[in-house]
Amino acid sequence: MSGGPEAGGGSGPAIDAAAFANLLEMTGGDVEFVDDLVDTYLEEGVTLIDRLRTAASAGDGATDDLLRAAHSLKSSSLNVGALQLGELCRALEADARGGSVVEPGPRVDAIASGFDDVSAALLAEREERRTGG
Amino acid sequence: MTPPAGDGIAQPGRILVVDDTAFNRQLLARLLRGIGHETVEAEDGQQALDRLRDPAAPPIDVILLDIVMPVMDGYETLAALARDPALRHLPVIVISGVDELDSVVRCLEMGAADYLPKTVDPAILQARIASSLARKRLHDAEREAVERQSATNDVLAIMSRSAFDLQVVLDAVVRAALRLCRADYGVAYTLDDGAFRVAASAGGTPELDAWEREHPIKPGRDSVVGRVALIGEPIRVEDVLADREYQATPGQEGSGYRSLVGVPIEQDGAITGVLALTRNEVRPFSDAETALAFGFAEQAAIGIANARLLATIERQRGQLARFLSPQVALLVSSPEGEALLAGHRREITAMFCDLRNFTTFSETAEPEEVLGFVRRYHASVGALVVEHEGTLEHFAGDGLMVFFNDPELQDDHAARAVRMAVAIRETFVAISEEWRRRGHVLQVGMGIATGYATMGRIGFEGRYDYGGIGNAIILASRLSSEAKAGEILISQRTFGALDGAVPAEDAGERQLKGFSRPMAAYRVTAGEAAAAAAAEAS
Repeated sequence: MSGGPEAGGGSGPAIDAAAFANLLEMTGGDVEFVDDLVDTYLEEGVTLIDRLRTAASAGDGATDDLLRAAHSLKSSSLNVGALQLGELCRALEADARGGSVVEPGPRVDAIASGFDDVSAALLAEREERRTGG
Repeated sequence: MTPPAGDGIAQPGRILVVDDTAFNRQLLARLLRGIGHETVEAEDGQQALDRLRDPAAPPIDVILLDIVMPVMDGYETLAALARDPALRHLPVIVISGVDELDSVVRCLEMGAADYLPKTVDPAILQARIASSLARKRLHDAEREAVERQSATNDVLAIMSRSAFDLQVVLDAVVRAALRLCRADYGVAYTLDDGAFRVAASAGGTPELDAWEREHPIKPGRDSVVGRVALIGEPIRVEDVLADREYQATPGQEGSGYRSLVGVPIEQDGAITGVLALTRNEVRPFSDAETALAFGFAEQAAIGIANARLLATIERQRGQLARFLSPQVALLVSSPEGEALLAGHRREITAMFCDLRNFTTFSETAEPEEVLGFVRRYHASVGALVVEHEGTLEHFAGDGLMVFFNDPELQDDHAARAVRMAVAIRETFVAISEEWRRRGHVLQVGMGIATGYATMGRIGFEGRYDYGGIGNAIILASRLSSEAKAGEILISQRTFGALDGAVPAEDAGERQLKGFSRPMAAYRVTAGEAAAAAAAEAS
């Protein structure tokens, strides 16, 4: 799986199956808890995407906001197994830490689209788990 | 709530998870609870510090700290922790992404104990938390030992300063026990008339304290104090509400205390008090805390023993005062006394009072009459000696000797002696009048002299008197023999020292036994007319 900043949606699975399985295993197979955790991820993700958009449109003065939102979304994404999205966030965070982000708008759009894919994948996984037993 | 101490590394702790991402807090908290720890969450450094500094909140053992956070980030939080003496010992584990190793190094330099990767591995999490907890416990144990030592020293210092002030000692003991045993209310009860009453208390609400003070506890199984009194051993109750024999009191219901410990305060094997501590939550007192309370109870016992010793000394002094003059009684029980008793030379005024016709009286009167007279005479003259602050040297059936300016210094000793003699003469007018009507003639004559004498303990082992040796004493005795009924004769030096304070006139020179040359004598004229009239009448 490639992790460059250009690796937008579609070049791999939105959710890495092994990483997600690891999350389930970590919690001792507590499916209910994982569902709660995924809900938290999805709710918080929406807020973080909003913050990224606001910061991107605010220009250079908002690199701190960009950094913090990308940082938060990165760590939770990696933990749910959204490795590609995590990489996008990591790259944005690193640039923001460097002091400036060239054309943040398209980068945030890529992250938002990645987040949509992850959301869909997570919900599909849950549905599959329920129906599949 | 921290469960009771178990064994080493597997001990659970209370972990503060500081992360602005709800997802991360939720995941970490879940994993930590899964391995038995309690968790508390904070969204940023400021919230974390507020929680750590909240005196009402249970203490945190380890902090899991995110670095990138709004309001106050991980670095600022570490710096604030390092500045706070109460918090700088807390182990901090920094949570970081694998790409943030530079930040980790900076955090470790700022005092963080360890770091954890953001993509959590439960095994690593468990190991890191366990190692930080062990570190925290070691630190706590060290601090506790220092605290114990200093609290014990405080109580000892107070005991040596106020050894005989039981209240001060018990107050200090209860305060120290309360603090070190982490109790909410502490009481030292002392046994009085079959019941244990509050002698000192600390920490409780005014209502609880008032209730306890108004309700002494009798030995019995329905209370912790009562059980300690019954058994004589420390009693611990994990939860009073779960204890079948415990009878809840309005004091307990009002304050809601749950866990209790009581230890006996013993004197020579007898229980004379109980030290009791309570907690307003179910958190049993540990073995170490019970042992600590026991140590404080021993200090309370020493305080009580000292106070009893003091009471005994006071009582003995009071009893001595009934046999000796109060001045001498004080001398016997004071540190300066020993030196004075050993002997010292001082100017004194001595007064002898001599009953005339006492031998005839005691031969002719009924013994009961004689005793009745002697009692009356002693009572009224004794009161006058005390009133004028004289030191009574002896008190015989027919006479007495009193001296002034020793052991207590009195500038006006000559005047005091003369005024006392005048007062005795006045009192005696009434007494002799009464006896005259019964057919007995009784009169007093007095002699007073001023001069140097050697004062101190006179006598032999087993029977010592406080007295003096010197010419002034012999002169006073001779003048008293020389005095006619109702007369007060004073020496030249006494007359000079009086300096007109009490009227007296020249009574000529007298040849006195034991004195080679004639001695000048003066007669005190104050109140003489009444005495003379009484003498005339007889």
